[in-house]
Amino acid sequence: MNKTEDSSPPSALILVADDDEDIRRLLRFRLERAGYGVIEARDGEEALALALEHRPDLAVMDVMMPKATGYEVTRRLREDESTRKIPVILLTARAQEADVSRGFEAGADDYLRKPFSPQELRARVHAILGRR
Amino acid sequence: MVEFLTSCAVVLAGLGGVAAAVLGLRRLTLARAEQRRLDAEARLIPAALELLDGMEPVGEVSEQDVDVFAALLGRFGRLVRGVESERIAEFFEHHGWVDYELGRLNSRRPWRRATAAFALGDMGSSRAIPALIQRLQDSEPDVRAAVARSLGRLGATDAVESVVGGFASGRLPGSVAGQALLSIGSSAVRGLRVLNEAEDPAARAFAVELIGLLGDASDEDVLVECLRDTSAEVRANAARALGRVGAEGATLELAERLDDGVVLVRAAAAAALAAVGDHRVVARLVELAQQDEFESARAAAEAAAQLDPEGVKRASSAAGSAVHLNEAADLLELYA
Repeated sequence: MNKTEDSSPPSALILVADDDEDIRRLLRFRLERAGYGVIEARDGEEALALALEHRPDLAVMDVMMPKATGYEVTRRLREDESTRKIPVILLTARAQEADVSRGFEAGADDYLRKPFSPQELRARVHAILGRR
Repeated sequence: MVEFLTSCAVVLAGLGGVAAAVLGLRRLTLARAEQRRLDAEARLIPAALELLDGMEPVGEVSEQDVDVFAALLGRFGRLVRGVESERIAEFFEHHGWVDYELGRLNSRRPWRRATAAFALGDMGSSRAIPALIQRLQDSEPDVRAAVARSLGRLGATDAVESVVGGFASGRLPGSVAGQALLSIGSSAVRGLRVLNEAEDPAARAFAVELIGLLGDASDEDVLVECLRDTSAEVRANAARALGRVGAEGATLELAERLDDGVVLVRAAAAAALAAVGDHRVVARLVELAQQDEFESARAAAEAAAQLDPEGVKRASSAAGSAVHLNEAADLLELYA
């Protein structure tokens, strides 16, 4: 059975970084179902290392991660010439909404509020990758 | 006598051995049960994800796996919203889980009521909302906290008044009630707006603070009204809330609060004016920073520094400038 939804499946590679395994599972499932390739990181440092190694087309990252926060990783991606153009979507808990502007200041392109709608995520990813 | 003591020692040693064997066996059984649960979970994750995606995997779930599958969906239910959340709710409604937990919500045992309330929130079924609102009156604090959490998870706008009332009456801790209302999100604001007329000042202050967190500039009218409240806490929260929502139309009213009789309100008004970005009040803020009490003077200096950095540097270099202005100017230099 062809599990990819789109008639012309995108081949972009997406980095998913979150310390919650269930969230990574949900994101991977939704993004792979939409036809994207996915690599996973469990903390900020791993996210940064994978971003430098694989140069993904987009990163979806939790704000609160061990070792380095989503803000920090975003900032460091923006500082490196090879990763500065990688679009970043930050996942933020409702209580952290006040910090959304902090995410944008760090260089994030968009944010999603947790609990998140996987359909909304797919739409945002499509929109960001479509703009490139 | 010696023989008797020897016999006792032998019996006790035997009993000890049996107890150790029972405990070991129990541990082994629990470890096996946990391993079976983990195996079942690993097997069922694809089916749960398929269900979230709109497929119908339920036929593949065997009778003995149903509990694990439900727990898994409950866990995913905490992470998603929108159509995926509705699919989880449909599953639980269709298979009778919602009715089962609604029944347990009336159990005589508090822990059972609390776990039922918690589970109903994860199931995401709006059918549970009326029963949960009623349970906010439960005699047990743990049950009330679980109910409030689940009403938040369910986005129960009908519960806003009861949750704020629960906080005001001391039946819900502020953190629990606040988290529930934050989870309900911006749709809670309509209910919160009405509560600015509540008799209890604590309820009014709480509602105003949350309007600031969840509302937007369209809530300016109600917040401006609260700037004239008889309670200083309400006035301070209203000022902070106006700053948060960026109420540019409220600068006059906020500037008036710089002369409030309570230092806390003056400090909140100064910070809000900086957030709103009204440069007309810089002179008054500098004056306040020179003359007022510690907290509001410091807030006024910080606000002035945000609005007019060069003006604050000039003011601090003048003879006899106040300590807070100097501090603000030093910080400007430090972060330049």
